[in-house]
Amino acid sequence: MAKTVLICDDALFMRTMLGDILRQAGFSVVGEAQSGSEAVQKYRELQPSLVTMDIVMPDMGGIDAVRAIMKEFPDAKILMCSAMGQQALVIEAIQAGARDFVVKPFQPSRVLEAVQRVLS
Amino acid sequence: MDLRDFVALYVTETREHLRLLDKALLAVERGEVEGAIDEAFRAAHTLKSLSATMGFRSAADQAHALEDRLHRVRTGELRVDADIIDSLLAAADDLGRVIDHAVATEEPRVDGWEGPDDEERGPFAVGASEPADGAQVESGPASAQPVDPDQVSVRVVLRSDAPVKAARAMLVVRAVEQRWRVARTEPAVFDDSFGGELRIMLDSSADRAELETAIRGAGEVELVIFEDAASARPLARAEQPVVEAPRVVQVRVDQRRLDEIADGIGELSLLERRLRRELGEKAGNVEAVGRLSALLSDLQHAVLSVRMVPLAEAFERFPRVVRDAARRADKEIEFRIEGEGIEIDRSILDDVVDPLIHLLRNAVDHGIEAEEERVAAGKPARGTIVLRAERARASVRIALEDDGRGVNRARVLEKARLAGLHAEADAAAHDDDALLRLMAHPGLSTSDEVTELSGRGVGMDVVLSRVRALGGAIDMRTEPGHGTTFTLRLPITLALARALLVRVDDEEYAVPLTHISEAIELDGAIERRNPGGEYVKLRDESLPLVRMTRVLGSRHVRTERAAIVAELGQRKIALGFDEIVGHEQILVKTFDAAAGTLPIFSGATLLADGRPALVLDPLSVI
Repeated sequence: MAKTVLICDDALFMRTMLGDILRQAGFSVVGEAQSGSEAVQKYRELQPSLVTMDIVMPDMGGIDAVRAIMKEFPDAKILMCSAMGQQALVIEAIQAGARDFVVKPFQPSRVLEAVQRVLS
Repeated sequence: MDLRDFVALYVTETREHLRLLDKALLAVERGEVEGAIDEAFRAAHTLKSLSATMGFRSAADQAHALEDRLHRVRTGELRVDADIIDSLLAAADDLGRVIDHAVATEEPRVDGWEGPDDEERGPFAVGASEPADGAQVESGPASAQPVDPDQVSVRVVLRSDAPVKAARAMLVVRAVEQRWRVARTEPAVFDDSFGGELRIMLDSSADRAELETAIRGAGEVELVIFEDAASARPLARAEQPVVEAPRVVQVRVDQRRLDEIADGIGELSLLERRLRRELGEKAGNVEAVGRLSALLSDLQHAVLSVRMVPLAEAFERFPRVVRDAARRADKEIEFRIEGEGIEIDRSILDDVVDPLIHLLRNAVDHGIEAEEERVAAGKPARGTIVLRAERARASVRIALEDDGRGVNRARVLEKARLAGLHAEADAAAHDDDALLRLMAHPGLSTSDEVTELSGRGVGMDVVLSRVRALGGAIDMRTEPGHGTTFTLRLPITLALARALLVRVDDEEYAVPLTHISEAIELDGAIERRNPGGEYVKLRDESLPLVRMTRVLGSRHVRTERAAIVAELGQRKIALGFDEIVGHEQILVKTFDAAAGTLPIFSGATLLADGRPALVLDPLSVI
């Protein structure tokens, strides 16, 4: 069975791009979320193998969403997606429980390497 | 570190320094000794270091010998004269050949090169001798805290391009913490000042292989170094970057790849125009299509600019060419270059260099007179040759001017008549363009005074055909006793050309603007003349008119209502068409014309609406 992934980002373009990269690597994109709260809700529904989480989102940011998910599902595998120059936020995300991070603009190879690390 | 990865960079850098060396030696010869000799010395020194670093002994030795001689010139031990400069220039040429040979045949290796100590030179030494491989110089004592022998201490260096290094370091530590007990880390906290190097101290023993795997599994790890007290050294901090200062790295690119990219972009832009037409009207699409256009335009410029190089890249070797030719001909010549900053497509420049060198050598050998002759004629003893480049709207003009004796018209005509070319000789009696064509005639172009320099297989006919093959034109003006000027007019780029679209019947053709000066209407301005031919009045000139309906074999003749003015040197003619439809940028694809095709087409292109069109070469109509 293919690994499932939930993609959380408020930009359609980013969700599409990530989705393409992950689908080509054999993942099944089972859900998308555009805000932190939607991310938490969909995680409960879908319990995917992997979550990609953008840091800056409306209505509960990505880091808060990570905390909420990790509280309920301590084994959740979350990959943080950050824009360049958000060093402090990335550190906070790691401390909140994200397993790894990638920086935008995405390089497909780096994304897939990070995904491998998160899932292993 | 695999030195083979550095060969390309070595080649680029040594070429650059050899060029600087040449330039400096010529400056020394001109009398600007002070700064120039230092520059020459530094260039030779750098060539030595580069070669030593790569382990190319022969090149390093050769460079060292040259450096030595330059040092002696610097101290005054060797006096500067033309012979010494000759010999130094020759030694520099040799060094270039040795370097080429080393690159082609030797394996680079870091075995260090034990050459004579720089310090032996005393006060003129360049500075403290540098380490053979750019290793970081160790400074300061080892880490203040001795490492406990029971503790495992591992230094981790992150990849220099790893983003958000502090977060990555945290992930590394976390990965280690999952299986082993971490006593402490240096630095204790990862924040903005983190430079990418950390030290992890474990409280327990650990299998090194497993530990390294776990560390590297966290991602973006460059080095994992297990330490003992002796090798522990201060960690690099953010203020001292772990890697060397960024340097400009040049890449060598196969030109065909650039051509492919330019082609691809050309096709994209045609598609974009189609999309713009078909989709642009719908309101929702306007913004997206507009962005597409802008992005594509940027991309196009970026790729074309990669192909563009300043003329200086080719011109800079010319002073040496002129100098050597002048020495051998025993003439004093001043050579000036103007406009070398102007940029042109690399492939055009590559092809125009040989013709220019031929013209330069001709100017030195046959153009400029010997000193006595010049003085007797009241001219300055030193001859002058000027290479001048100018940008015009859709072309680059390169003029090569000498103040010599001018072309020996009488001799050319004589040889022509002897070869049976009477009509051509008659035409050339008073017309410089006809004279040039005569000089380029295959039978005549190799002079009977074949000197070692000019007779190098590039005769005038090759010069002309090479320039024409580039879509350019060459013209000559010569005045007996005063000198000769050759002017080359070249397109700026081969990839994209600005062109006029013209129509005859219901066929459209594209005419590149390179040789076009203007477009005019033909109502009532045509004048018939005897012995024949039609002329068009343009301000105060009368231009011969060529009716393209006739040339192209149209069924409807004499329907021309517009004309374009093409220039070849000083001559202008008007080419008449039914209509001038517009102008656009086209991507010319040259072709080998099928048998029976009129020789007036230089290629084909796709117009903005996707239709194919033939590209007309106005000069071939003349």
